[in-house]
Amino acid sequence: MAFAPRGPEASFFQVLDQHRASLLAALRKGGGEPAGGGTRLATSSEVLAAIENVIQDIITSLARNEAPAFTIDNRSSWENIKFEDSVGLHMVSHCTTRKIKSDSPKSVKTFALILKILSMIYKLVQSNTYATKRDIYYTDSQLFGNQTVVDNIINDISCMLKVPRRSLHILSTSKGLIAGDLRYIEEDGTKVNCACATAVAVPSNIQGIQNLITDAKFLLIVEKDATFQRLLDDSFCTKMSPCIMVTGKGAPDLNTRLLVKKLWDTFHIPIFTLVDADPHGIEIMCIYKYGSMAMSFEAHNLTVPAIRWLGLLPSDIKRLNIPKGTLIPLTKQDQMKLDSVLKRPYITCQPFWRKEMEIMADSKMKAEIQALTFLSSDYLSRVYLPNKLKFGGWI
Amino acid sequence: MEGTAVAVCEILKYLIIHWRCETARISKGALLEGELVISIEALNSKHQANTLHCVTTIASAGSIFGGLVLKKILKEIQSILPGLSAELSWTSEETSYSQDVSGVTPFQMIFEVHEKPRTLMTDSLVIKNFLRKVITVLPKIRFNFSVKVNGILSMEIFGAENEPTLNLSNGIALVVNHQHYVSTPKFGATELLCSRIHPVLGHPVMLFIPDDVAKMGLLGELILTPAAALCPCPKVFSNQLNRISSASIFLYGPSGLPLILLNPEQPTSTIFKDTSYFINWKKHHLCMVPNLDFNLDRDLVLPDVSYQVESSEGDQTQNMDPQGQTLLLFLFVDFHSGFPVQKMELWGVHTLLTTHLSAILTESHSVVQDSIQVAVDQALEQHHHAVKAHQKLQASLSVAVNSIMSIMTGSTSSSFRKTCLQTLQAADTQEFGTKLHKSFHEITQNRFLHHCSREVKQAAEGGSSLTTGVCSSQEFGSPSEPNVSSEQVDGRKCLSMGPAGWRQEPGSRCASLGLRTCGSIGVGPWLALRVADPRLLLGLPGPEAEAGVQQLLPEKNNAEQSTEDAHENSSLELLAGTSGQVENKSLKRGSLRQGVEETRAFRSPRALNPSEAALGRAEPTAAPLTPSRNRTGPRSGLEDALWLQEISNLSEWLSPGSAS
Repeated sequence: MAFAPRGPEASFFQVLDQHRASLLAALRKGGGEPAGGGTRLATSSEVLAAIENVIQDIITSLARNEAPAFTIDNRSSWENIKFEDSVGLHMVSHCTTRKIKSDSPKSVKTFALILKILSMIYKLVQSNTYATKRDIYYTDSQLFGNQTVVDNIINDISCMLKVPRRSLHILSTSKGLIAGDLRYIEEDGTKVNCACATAVAVPSNIQGIQNLITDAKFLLIVEKDATFQRLLDDSFCTKMSPCIMVTGKGAPDLNTRLLVKKLWDTFHIPIFTLVDADPHGIEIMCIYKYGSMAMSFEAHNLTVPAIRWLGLLPSDIKRLNIPKGTLIPLTKQDQMKLDSVLKRPYITCQPFWRKEMEIMADSKMKAEIQALTFLSSDYLSRVYLPNKLKFGGWI
Repeated sequence: MEGTAVAVCEILKYLIIHWRCETARISKGALLEGELVISIEALNSKHQANTLHCVTTIASAGSIFGGLVLKKILKEIQSILPGLSAELSWTSEETSYSQDVSGVTPFQMIFEVHEKPRTLMTDSLVIKNFLRKVITVLPKIRFNFSVKVNGILSMEIFGAENEPTLNLSNGIALVVNHQHYVSTPKFGATELLCSRIHPVLGHPVMLFIPDDVAKMGLLGELILTPAAALCPCPKVFSNQLNRISSASIFLYGPSGLPLILLNPEQPTSTIFKDTSYFINWKKHHLCMVPNLDFNLDRDLVLPDVSYQVESSEGDQTQNMDPQGQTLLLFLFVDFHSGFPVQKMELWGVHTLLTTHLSAILTESHSVVQDSIQVAVDQALEQHHHAVKAHQKLQASLSVAVNSIMSIMTGSTSSSFRKTCLQTLQAADTQEFGTKLHKSFHEITQNRFLHHCSREVKQAAEGGSSLTTGVCSSQEFGSPSEPNVSSEQVDGRKCLSMGPAGWRQEPGSRCASLGLRTCGSIGVGPWLALRVADPRLLLGLPGPEAEAGVQQLLPEKNNAEQSTEDAHENSSLELLAGTSGQVENKSLKRGSLRQGVEETRAFRSPRALNPSEAALGRAEPTAAPLTPSRNRTGPRSGLEDALWLQEISNLSEWLSPGSAS
C-alpha cells in the first residue's frame, strides 16, 4: 500500500461528512440515480444500423423525387430545454426540429458534411477504431473550414442518431487535469495514480477506465488551470488529504465532464467548484452542474446536480474586505451574461446563487480567485478553502 | 437594307415620333399604346421578269393618330426619305375620314416598288428585326406585319403588351423576358422557369456634343443611361451557364427608337470595334472579340454590336460555343430634362445620332466608360455569385454522393445494400452510383429553379392574361406576366430621364439634316410612294450600301440549303403561281417569343405537326392549297425552275421559324 499523505484531523471533515450523508439521503429519497442516468452505450451494430437507416431515408427521398433533408432537434432554443433539479438541463421529448436541406444554398454544404462525417463514423465503428474530433477535422480541413463546424456536426449526428458521442467512436481531445487521491486502470490496462506531485491528464476514454479507487472526502473542481497549479504547488491535495482536484481549464470539455460525472456516480462524494466571482465563472460552474444547451441531449451522462458552489462567492469579497482596487468592473458583455444566467430555469431553485449574482450585479464588480492573494500569497490554500470546507461555506 | 425596308422603317420611326409628340402633350411618361399594320403584297410583275411588284401599306389599326394632317405628313415623310419618288393618289375614303366629326383620322399610306424575291425576303427580315427592336422598349405598340406573295399570306403580330417590363419612366419600358434576347431551345426545358433578365441600371451621364456635330444642328443636352443584364437569368442553376459566352449591345435613341447601324463600317460602329473601349473585360477575366455574324433569320432582337468571348489561349472551340450566358447592354440616349422637342427636331436628332453617335460617345468617353463599367460590373457580379453558388452546390453534392457510396459499398449488411439498389432500381453498385448522382443533381437543381420560378409567379399574380391566347403558353411557362415597375423587377432604382426635348434653330433643319424635299409629292387620301433607288435612301454611296446589305443578308451553309431545297422541291407545285387567297392558319412556338399570335398563310403539309394540322382543320375559312400555274403563265424550264425556287425560298423565309 502506498504511503498515505497526512491530512487534517478527522473532525475537520465533520461537516463534509454530514453533507455527503445528506446527498446520499437525497439520492435514496429520489430513488437512486435519476431516470436515464448512466445511459448505456449503443452497440456497434446499433450505430451501423442507425446510419444505414439514415442513408436509406435519403435514397427513398431521391426515389420519390424529393430533395433529401436531415431533421435534427433544435438544440439552440431554450424552448426545447427542460430543467429538472435531479438531471439539470435536458431536451424535452417533443422538441422543435430544424431541417438541413440538400436543395437550399444555405444548408447544402452542411448536408454534405453530415454525410461525410457519417461515412467516417461508419468506418470507425466498423473497424472498431477511434478518432478525435481534431483527427476528423484534419482529414479534410479545407472542406470543413474550421474545427467548430466539425464539432457542431458531430453533436448534431449524436443528437440525430440518439447515440452518445463515445458510441460514434469519436473522442474529444482532453484538456482537463486531475490530481489527488485517485487511482484507476485505463482501457488499455495502464494503471494511473493521480496522487503524484504533477497532475494527470483526463483520459480520453472515460467509459473505458476501470477499478477506480479513492478515499477522497471531496472533489474540488477548479475553473482555471493557473489556480489549479497554484493549489498543487501549495500541496493542497496533501494538506486536505484525502481529496481530488480537477480542472477543465476553463469551459470543460466532454471528457472532463464525463470524468466528474463518473466520479460522482462511483463514489457519491461531495463535489465543489472554485470559480472566479464573475458571470463567466458562474456559467462554467453551471455547465458542470446542470449541463449546457448544446449538449442537453446527453445531459443524463454529463450533469452532476449535486455540485455546490464553494467560492469565490461575490459575498466573500465584502466579507473578506478584499480591496476594491483588486476588483474589476463588469463589462457590458459581463452584464449581459449575468442577466442571461439569471434567466436560466435552474436559477429559480437556487435562491442563494441568485442572491450572490444579485450582489455582483449591484456592485457592478467582479473578482478573480487571484484577488485572494492580496490578503496573502497562500491565503487560498491555507485559509480560504480549509475554512470553507471545514465550516460548510458552500451554497 | 433595301428600299422597302428602309422606307417602312423610316416611316414607322416618323409615325412613332409624331405619336410620341402627340402623347407627350397629354402625358409625358406614358407608354405608347396602339396598333400599326404593315402589309406587303407582292405579285409577279407583268412587266419585268423575275421581279415582284410590291405594294406596301402602312396603316393604323385604330384611331391612334389624332391630329394627323396627311398633307403635312406626306411632305415631311418625303423630306426624310431622300431619293424617294412617289406616285400619289386619293381615294374616296379620304373624304369620309377627313370629315370625321371627331377629328380623328385613321390613315393609310401605300407605296409601290419592284423587287427581286430575295430582296423582298431580306426586307421582310429587316422590318421584322426593326419591329422586334421597337417592341422591346415600346411594348404596348402592336405591329401587325403581313407579307403576301402571289396570294400566299404570312402574318405575324409583334407586341409585348402583357410581358413584364422594367419601366424607364420616360415613356419607354424594357421588356425583361429573356426569350427576346436568346434562343430558348439551347437551354433545357427545366431551365426556362426563370424567364426574366434582371437589368442593372447605370447612372445617367451627360453627353458632350462635339463642336462639329453641334454645328450640324445637334444642340442641347443629351444623357446616356446604360442598362446591363445577364441572359438568361444567372439565378438559373445549370452547368451551361457557368460562363459568359457573348455580349450584345443595343443602341436606342430618344423615344426608344432604335439607332440602327445601317452599315457596320459607318462611324457609329467604329468605336465598338474596340471591345475594350468602354468596358474593361479583363477585370472579369474575359477576352472579347467583335462578332460580325449578324444573322437576321432569328426570332430574336438583333443587337447593334455583338462580341463573343475568346479564351486567352485563343481556343476556337470556346469561341463558338453558344451554351453560355450573354451579357446584354442597352445604351439609351435621350434628352436631358426640360428640353423641348418638336417632331421634326426629334427626327433630326435621331438622324444625327445615327451618324455621329461614335463622335459623341468618344467626346464623353471617360464618363460613359465609368457608367457602363459600373452597370456591367454589377451584372457580372450576379454571374459570379451564381457561378460560386453553383460550384458550391456541385462540390457539396459530390461530397454527399461519395459519402453515401462509401457507406453503401463498405457495408457488410446485404439487406441494406439490396434495399439501396432496389430503391433506386439499380442493377449493381456502379449503376447505383450513377443514378444516385443523377437524382441528386436533378432534384436539387429543380428545387433551385422552383425557388426562382416562385419569384416570377409572385410577380405575375394579378396580371391579365394574354388575350391573343392561342399561343402555346403551356410550353413556355407564363407568357402573360404583367408589366411590373423596376422596383418589382429587381428592386433596383428606376431610371428617370425626365421629359424629352430638342432645341434647334428654325430653318436650319433641312440643311443640317441633309434632307431634301421632292416636289412631286402630292396630297391625296391614298398616298403612293415609289422608291427610285434604295441605296439613296441610306444616304450612302453605292458600294457602302451594298456592303451594308451584304452584312444584313442571311447566310446559310450548303448543308442547310440543300436540305431546304429538297423540302422546297416537294412543294414547288403548291408554291408556284398560287392564285387564290390561301388562309391556312396555324400556330408556331416561335410566335410566342414575340408574345404574339401568328397567322401563317402557307406551310407545306409535311411541315404541319398533328396539332397544327388539327388547328388547320378547325379553321372553317381555310381554303385548300390549290396548285395553279395559270397566273404565272408559261415559262422556259430552267428560268421557270429558278423562279419557282426563288419564290419557294421567299415563302420559307417569310414563315417564322420554318428554317430552323
